[in-house]
Amino acid sequence: MFAPIGSIEATMTVYLNGRSIPARAGETIAACLLRAGVSHFRTTPVTGARRLPYCMIGHCFDCLIEIDGIGSRQACLSPVEDGMTLRIQDGAATVPGVDIQ
Amino acid sequence: MTPAPDADAIVIGAGPAGMSCAIDLASAGFRVIVLDMQPSPGGQIFRALETNMMARPQTDELLSALGPSYRAGLALIERFRATPGIDFRPGTTVWDLRADGTVGWLRGNAAGYLRAPHVVLASGAMERPTPFPGWTLPGVMTAGAVQTLLKAGRLKPEGRIVLAGTGPLIFLLAEQLRRLGVRPALIARTDRLKDKLSALGQLRPAGFPALLKGLGWLARLRLAGIPMRTGISGLQALGRNRLESVRLIASGRTVDLPCDLLVVHDGIVPSTDLAHAAGLALEWRRDDASWRPRAATDGRAEMAPGPALTTGPRRIWVTGDARRIGGADAAIVHGRHATSAILAELRRAIGEPDGADRTGTAVERSLAARPFLDTAFPPGLAAQPPDDETIACRCEDITVRSLRIAIRDGANDMNLIRGLLRCGMGPCQGRNCSATLARLLAEAEPERPIPSSPFRARPPLRPIPLGALAGMTGLDPDLAQVESLDDKPEAIAGDDIHA
Repeated sequence: MFAPIGSIEATMTVYLNGRSIPARAGETIAACLLRAGVSHFRTTPVTGARRLPYCMIGHCFDCLIEIDGIGSRQACLSPVEDGMTLRIQDGAATVPGVDIQ
Repeated sequence: MTPAPDADAIVIGAGPAGMSCAIDLASAGFRVIVLDMQPSPGGQIFRALETNMMARPQTDELLSALGPSYRAGLALIERFRATPGIDFRPGTTVWDLRADGTVGWLRGNAAGYLRAPHVVLASGAMERPTPFPGWTLPGVMTAGAVQTLLKAGRLKPEGRIVLAGTGPLIFLLAEQLRRLGVRPALIARTDRLKDKLSALGQLRPAGFPALLKGLGWLARLRLAGIPMRTGISGLQALGRNRLESVRLIASGRTVDLPCDLLVVHDGIVPSTDLAHAAGLALEWRRDDASWRPRAATDGRAEMAPGPALTTGPRRIWVTGDARRIGGADAAIVHGRHATSAILAELRRAIGEPDGADRTGTAVERSLAARPFLDTAFPPGLAAQPPDDETIACRCEDITVRSLRIAIRDGANDMNLIRGLLRCGMGPCQGRNCSATLARLLAEAEPERPIPSSPFRARPPLRPIPLGALAGMTGLDPDLAQVESLDDKPEAIAGDDIHA
């Protein structure tokens, strides 16, 4: 759906569900994952529908994703960091070892 | 005792309005803290401009596609960076704002409160929420989102692209895409020729440059042979797990188009989340399907009537697109005008006069093209009653049908419906659905005045990690004291359903 304009100097790597994805310093997680052609960042807690970023400026919260173990972070506002561990957020965010329902 | 102020002024937002305001305040000797969500100054319009300029020649193609009006922001950004007395804090989210000048902030995993005798709200605009069937599917995005991906992501869309909606941004984006060699399959506009004809009556000389610019974009798009339809309706995004096709009605006929990316835009509206949370008065504009803060020409905000979370004088000013949609140039003019009003209140003079016109007349002049643009590009996608199947609340997957049923069954209040159905209770806190619900309430009872405000707001307005909350700085012990339920009128009235 999106292609780089010119060459992208990808000097970093992030990991989405274990898969390595090249990343450019200064870009947001959302831009990085859209370039990689990721099909969805999360599924909704109510119907399990897939979502990708919609507004890209922090209003819609559809780009929520798990970053380094913390759920429901806004991928469109978070810059990539080398070695970052990302997970597609399925349904409601969870806290390891805690039943929050 | 309330902690001492952290600065003479806090500016929220480092776009054109916030930057010009901070420059003037700092030049007058103020210590100014500027908070912004992005990593660099510029706002959405000049997003990532500094880094794109530094990355030349790699970004030459991008910069030339974005055009001279993008690069024009550099002078303001450089002045903002060079002005002593500005404490710029990028990557900072504001999750609380109080009328007394208290600002709750989050940066990384650190959070706290800051205080200043003057807080300038320069948090800009958002795209008008435009619910239609399928708008939540992966592959549907706003025009602003695609522009952000161009500027900050250095990405261009590819595949079968449809642009749908109305407003100058549709043409600007299409023109930028054309320069990048991207050809949309269709530009489907909700506006009609008759909108242009009625707009001509609103045209003032100050609007000529905008008109000429628009006609230029249009001519180049036509020359490039990009298909364009006007007066479209019934837009739908279809697909199972992602967008597969777009359906719309053009000239009375249903058109189906295979599509990979549907880009929608229905104009922009002031971003009111912080103003509303601070207890400032908002006004609903039926024609515009949006709220805006009630603020004087100089940006002096008005408090909403009734009990508030804080006491004492109001310390908030609203500037730029957060007050009135006008674009970057108007925002710069207003940022300066608001600052001169703040300084006048303190009997202080502008630091180094640069000859710029800081009067209310300059503000009016900068907005002179708006009546023409607003009439030529009226809300389209948000003007039609949404279809029953449409999801109104993106966070909680709540359909328009279930909202209509709740309203028919007697729920006639925004906050009551939120309590009953969770509409507006998800992570976006109603930013996407409150205007839709207000429209549905108006549809059910056209005679009743529209709710004067969105869902009641409570901090935090944006998520904060628990660890950040636990380690907060700048706490005012008095703020933690709950002394009464005065800000909950229904609770006092004995109606505790949605208090």
